[in-house]
Formats: sequence, structure tokens, C-alpha cells
Amino acid sequence: MKILAVDTATPASSVAIGEDGQLRGLSVNVDRRGHVKFLVPAIDFCLAQAQWRARDIDLVAVDVGPGPYTGLRSGIATAQAFAAAIGAPMVTVSSLTTIALRAATGHRRIWSVVDMRRGQIAVAPFALLPGGVAPDGDPEVVRPDEFKAILECEGIDLLIVGDWQSLPAEMWTGLQRVRRGRPRFPSAETILEIAAMKERSGATLGPDDVRPVYMREPDVQINWESFRSEGAWPQ
Amino acid sequence: MSGPLVLGIETSCDETGVAVIEGLSTRSSVLGSQVDLHARFGGVVPEVAARAHIEAIRPLTHQAITEAGIHPDDIDAVAVTQGPGLIGPLMVGYSFAKSFAYALGKPLYGVDHMEGHLNAPRLSFDGYEPPAIVILASGGHSQIVHVKAWGDYEVLGGTIDDAAGEAFDKLARFMGLGFPGGPAIDRDSEGGDPSAIQFPRALRNRPYDFSFSGLKTSVVTYLEKARDAGELPARSDVSASIQEAIVDVLVDKTFNAVEATGVEVVGGGGGVLSNRRLRERLGEEADKRGVGLFIPEPALCTDNGAMIASVAVRRILDGVPGDEIIGDVDPGLRLGV
Ligand SMILES: [Zn+2]
Repeated sequence: MKILAVDTATPASSVAIGEDGQLRGLSVNVDRRGHVKFLVPAIDFCLAQAQWRARDIDLVAVDVGPGPYTGLRSGIATAQAFAAAIGAPMVTVSSLTTIALRAATGHRRIWSVVDMRRGQIAVAPFALLPGGVAPDGDPEVVRPDEFKAILECEGIDLLIVGDWQSLPAEMWTGLQRVRRGRPRFPSAETILEIAAMKERSGATLGPDDVRPVYMREPDVQINWESFRSEGAWPQ
Repeated sequence: MSGPLVLGIETSCDETGVAVIEGLSTRSSVLGSQVDLHARFGGVVPEVAARAHIEAIRPLTHQAITEAGIHPDDIDAVAVTQGPGLIGPLMVGYSFAKSFAYALGKPLYGVDHMEGHLNAPRLSFDGYEPPAIVILASGGHSQIVHVKAWGDYEVLGGTIDDAAGEAFDKLARFMGLGFPGGPAIDRDSEGGDPSAIQFPRALRNRPYDFSFSGLKTSVVTYLEKARDAGELPARSDVSASIQEAIVDVLVDKTFNAVEATGVEVVGGGGGVLSNRRLRERLGEEADKRGVGLFIPEPALCTDNGAMIASVAVRRILDGVPGDEIIGDVDPGLRLGV
């Protein structure tokens, strides 16, 4: 199973390819505005590393967020188009899960953080499992002070991972039993792992079923149901 | 007709356009219009547009390829709008097109949206060749372009405030006619008297430039006065008079440029060129001067994927190679600069 993974949910974008748990190519770039320029050359680089052609890819995995939308969409569009062109199935992963999975674990419950800008972050809790993590509550978009209140209520040892550096320093004053750790951003390398598991459990999708996880409405409400059913475009 | 088979993708504003053309003959052209999404805001909301583009782009690409009766591998190249336009929407189409082309092993051609409009008449007419004067008018842009040769464009003038389509939108909103304003005023003008009210024609002293803000103020003032005096005219007369004022300016400036350059070919593009009165008046003026008028059908005046593909077809036939894979969108792209 040859997998291509794409991640643009945060200021770090990355592309990875791998096969049977083996990383065969990885390219990482940290540039808030550089996603579009980076992605295809990175895919090209990774394929060259592995000496594969585009058509050798069996599965395309993509981080669907949450994360700042503009970059997120360019990664999703890139992954969708690649899968559509070669007729490969897709799997989707969450940025928060991808970060949590790479957390330097111990005994602590994990909170994963993605900066959504405009003074908000997306957060989600994860419980430790042997060999991994499992979501232990719904992700939500909150302000730093709201996040602080959530952490204050936990009363157990916590590990905060993800982009906590984007939060104001006073966020941490007075917080007990909270440690901050790595990684700061998700990585396509981790997505390869999650993708292989998802594929084994049959959780693949067609490119049309892959969409961003926004977790925040634009400044206005859209009724997507009626937009689709009114036939803005045919099925 | 034959020639390179090109997939064209356009997502610079509020229409997701995807088309397959072969040479200059259109095999398929599909559109995911977002008009209804934006209607309640009276204008295009960029984040709403970007969200709609990513919903639409994959299914529309599939549909365009299926309707063209081809397989993705048959495509010779992918063309995509690189700018100008809204960055979020541009990034969706460009990322998609670039990756699609790459995975198929085909070249990618990034196209200036305005050059797409300049080329669009070639998809409908044989005799449309430079040198030409082209009037481009839509909700986002209003320009008069001297097409000296393909790839050699001089922008002679343009709007100094609102685009023509924007003026229609704002006035239609003020009159309660809905969005988009151009078609609404066009419809409402039916049976109205275009000379009922003399609204001002601005910038008479600048041969190729437009300004529509004065018209807006004047319409608002006029209607408020008329209402206070209890003498509101028929709405169709107001619509027809507004339309006539906008059309007059666009036609005058276009033919100023035709006379100054001595060209014998006049083209047009952009959604405002769907306006029936504008098309009629441009036709009359072109006939009067014996110059050829090449305004394609409305579906090729508004944003579409075929016009983007048509630019790539010309480049392919000229032997221009595809873009480097480090390409990016360029929201501020400006014709002739
Ligand atoms: Zn346009």
C-alpha cells in the first residue's frame, strides 16, 4: 500500500509518502503563506526520493483540519485533484489527532491545540491508549481564557501539545498540573500511519466526500443542504 | 475542428467554471454558480465563495470531462486562472489544477483572468483577431483594452471608482431589485423609456475612463426628491434610464478607443456584456462605422472555464511550455503590466 499524505492545516505544511509503515519521502515547509507554492514540488520531490511515479500511489490521505481555512483548502484541493487524476481512494485525518498522536506521552491526558487566528484556537482532549491516543471529548473552538477555564476544571495531570506558543503567556499563570510539550504542528509523516490504520478498517472515501472541517462559520450562515439540492451543479 | 485538448478551470470570483475545449471548439463547459449564495448579501463574500469553490471543483471537473466524452489521460494540458481575483477562491482552483495536471503528467498553464475574457470571443467567431479594442466590464472590473497582438495588451482606461457591474448591483439594491443587479435592471427596463430621466454621464473629458459614483448619487437624490414630491415615475423608466446612462458611457469610451486606434475589430467580455441594451447599442455603433463586433453569447461573457482554456490553446500552438511547478496564484495580476 503506497500512501501519499498531505498536511496544510497549520503554518507548517508537509508532504510524505510511505509504504507498509516505511517512510519513503518527506518534505516540510513552515511558511504561513507558502502552501500553494510548496505542495506540488514537495510531492514531486518525495516521489523522486522513492523512485515512484504519481500513478503508483494507492491511497491519498489529507489533513482536513481544523486549521486556518485558506491554507487548509489548498492542501485538500491538491490531495483531491491528485486522487481524482489517478483514481485513488482517500482518507481524511484531523489535525488535532495528528498532533496528539505524536505527543511525547507519559501518563498525562493530552489536549491538542491548533491556532485558528482571530483570537481563537481549536482544542480537543485525548486519552492515552497502549500504542496511541483516542479522542476523549469533542473538539471545539474557544478563546484562550475559555481554554484556561477548561484546563482549570480538569484536576488531573495534563499535557498540552500543538501550537500553545500562539497563546498569550498569562494563559499559563496559576495553572496546576499542566505541562506543555511537542509537537507544535501536525506532520504528514504521522498521517501516513493514521491513513494505513484507517485503510485497514475500510474508512476510505471518494474525493467528493472530502471536505474541510471548518468548526467556525464564515461571518454569515450558509445553508449547504439547500445550496446542493437546488442544483447549483448537477450530481 | 481539432487542436490541443485543454481542461480549463476558473475560480477567481463567485463562479466555479470548468470546461474542456479542443482547439477552439468547446467540448463541454459547466458552471457552479454561487449567485444564490451571495444574493442575500448583495455582493460576493470571499470566504463564502472559497467554501463553495471547494465543494464544487471536483464534481464539476468530473462532469466537464464526462460531458466532453474523454478520459482525463486524453487531456493535453490544464489551464487555470492565476489572477486577478479573490485569493481564497483563486487558491482552491489553482491548487486543484496544478495537482491534477501534475498527477496526470500534463503541463499546467496559469492564465490571467482578463486575458481569458479577451480571448473568449475566439471561441465563438472566426474573424476575431487583433488589432482590436475590447471592452471588459463585470462586477469586478471595467476596462478598455487595446489588443495589439495576442499577448500584447495595453489598458487604455478603466473605472476610477465602481466597476460597471458594481454600479448595477448597488443601484438595483437601492431600487429593491435584487442581486445581481445587471440582469435585474435589464429585465426591469423592459418597456421603460431610456430617455425618461437624464442621469449624468461622468468623465466626458477623459476619453477612456469611467466613473459611476456620481450616477449613484444622482439616482438616489432624484428618487428621494421624486418620492417626497409624491411624483415617483414608473420604475421601468428609472431602470431604463439608469441602464442607458451606464451603457452610454461604456459605448462612448469604447468607440473613442476605436477611433483613436483605427482598429476594425471590437470585442467584449465580462458579465455586463450580457446586457441586452449594451449589446444592441454596441451593434448599432459598430454598424455605423463598419467595424466588426465580436461579443460572444452571454455564457462566454460571464466567467467560465473555456475562456481560460482558450488562452492555453494559443500558447500551446505557439510552442510555449507549461509553467514551472513552483507556480503560485497572483491575486494582483494586471493586464499589460
Ligand atoms: Zn471576469
